[in-house]
Amino acid sequence: MQVQELNVPIKEVTTKKKKLKTKSGHLSLILFVLPAFIFYLVFLLIPTIGAGVYSFTDWNGLNPTFNFVGFSNYIEAFKDDPAFRHSFWFTLRYTIFIFVIQNVAALLLALLIESRMKSKGFFRTIFFMPNMISLIISSLMFSFIFTNVFPELSKQALFSILDQSWIGDAKVSFYSILIVSLWQGIGYMMVIYMAALQGVPKQLKEASMIDGANVFQRLKHVVIPMIMHAITICSFLTLNGAFKVFDVVYALTQGGPGTSTQVMALNIYEEAFSNNFRFGYANAKAMILFLVVLIITLIQVSILKRKEVEA
Amino acid sequence: MRENRAASISINLILTVFAIVSCFPIYMAFINSFKSQGEIFSSVLALPKSFSLDNYIGVFTELNLLGSSFNTLIVTFIGLAGIVFCGSLAGYKLARTSGKLSTLIFTLFIASMLVPFHSIMITLSQMAKGLGLQGSLYGLGLIYIGLGVNMAVFLYHGFVKSIPKELEEAAKIDGCNDFQIFTRIIFPLLKPITATILVLNVLWLWNDFLLPLIMLTDVNNYTLMLSINMLFGQYVADWPKILAALVLTALPVIVFYAFFQKYILEGIADGAIK
Repeated sequence: MQVQELNVPIKEVTTKKKKLKTKSGHLSLILFVLPAFIFYLVFLLIPTIGAGVYSFTDWNGLNPTFNFVGFSNYIEAFKDDPAFRHSFWFTLRYTIFIFVIQNVAALLLALLIESRMKSKGFFRTIFFMPNMISLIISSLMFSFIFTNVFPELSKQALFSILDQSWIGDAKVSFYSILIVSLWQGIGYMMVIYMAALQGVPKQLKEASMIDGANVFQRLKHVVIPMIMHAITICSFLTLNGAFKVFDVVYALTQGGPGTSTQVMALNIYEEAFSNNFRFGYANAKAMILFLVVLIITLIQVSILKRKEVEA
Repeated sequence: MRENRAASISINLILTVFAIVSCFPIYMAFINSFKSQGEIFSSVLALPKSFSLDNYIGVFTELNLLGSSFNTLIVTFIGLAGIVFCGSLAGYKLARTSGKLSTLIFTLFIASMLVPFHSIMITLSQMAKGLGLQGSLYGLGLIYIGLGVNMAVFLYHGFVKSIPKELEEAAKIDGCNDFQIFTRIIFPLLKPITATILVLNVLWLWNDFLLPLIMLTDVNNYTLMLSINMLFGQYVADWPKILAALVLTALPVIVFYAFFQKYILEGIADGAIK
């Protein structure tokens, strides 16, 4: 009994102390987090919420007033806007190509380079260099390659396949957009894969070699499972990045000829900043882009994460 | 043994071919930037007859490349300083406090990393207009803080967890207040991750195109990427000058790469995998 009676006040004292501590804790938490949070709130959170809200309105960006129009912007984007629909499929196709080629090529390059003892650093430096050059400069540089160097190469009968209208023809310019993006982007993924490969324990490789596994078996059963986390990250980065492609298209083809190479980001940009001030409608398209990126990356991460656990 | 050598040679061969392909566009731009328009048309693949600097001098005097480099520098500096300052403070404190408020704020920061910039650019530009930041370089820098700080908070948060708490407790006993603990003990310990964050953000801020395109209206305020893009429209197919300008803008970045290669490559790998 006595002990219990004693216990009560002690408990009270400790809870009081705790409360005091958390109060000062709250204050310092707020002081430390506030600067970051203000910038985040003003330039990221509010615009995100705003984009969601305005997507349901007929706001023209100039008038202070607007009406809520429900889902009609969303319905219009899919039903009555062939240019947007085209940009959607174009972006999706581009994303699939980028996703596959960029990851496979980066991983292969990383594997090849990692097997070199002496020239590892040299090749890594070379393959990453294009990534330092901005997409705008890369695209303009390739503009020159496509219009002047490729025709010359094909004239020299080296590669007759190069003799095409790389920028003017809608079908071919899809590939020229792809080439610039890959040229610039593979190195980045390669660096990530190389770092992951360095983390694969040597003993594992040696053990599998002693067990008689050949190169491909080793790759499939040892290396790939061990670098699954890098595959998840690189898949995320390539998918996420490809859906937002803008700079290359803007600098290389401006979406042309016509709107044949217009990607989603460019379509949204033009709707909001150079067409007819339909901000509500442009925001609905922006939200569609957001939702597509969100859904695709969530699916991808959840699938690959499961594989990581298995490994 | 012989098989191994054959494999080794073919791997080297493949890598060398890829390396040549990879460098080819830069090489082409470089050698053709010394030629005249006529020489480009007659022999685009050959080395220039003379390495004349006329194109470079022309571009340099006609264009405000120095000015737009300086503009980009201002924007990059504001953005980086803000991202590191705000991000380290918040990331540290959020990692050291538990509780609903801290979890909520941290989750908000992380969740927003999934929001594509292109989805918010319209409302962001309206916001900037409303705050009177449209057209201003400082405004552009401030926006970069808002867009980049969540990633920094995330990376700092993860890093702080690896720092033992005892250090702070000892400093507290010695009479340091929270802010002193941060500036004297924690921030110096954050150096490696700060380097990573700086590297990742320098590349982004220096090379970014779309945000300046939306934000800046006055040609005098243009950043480097905007100036380059504008020049392309101005000198329609005047390739010698365009190429000279491209080389001039790409060169500093390549030099930067040569010097900080180790940090850049490590920063990218760490930023992605850790």
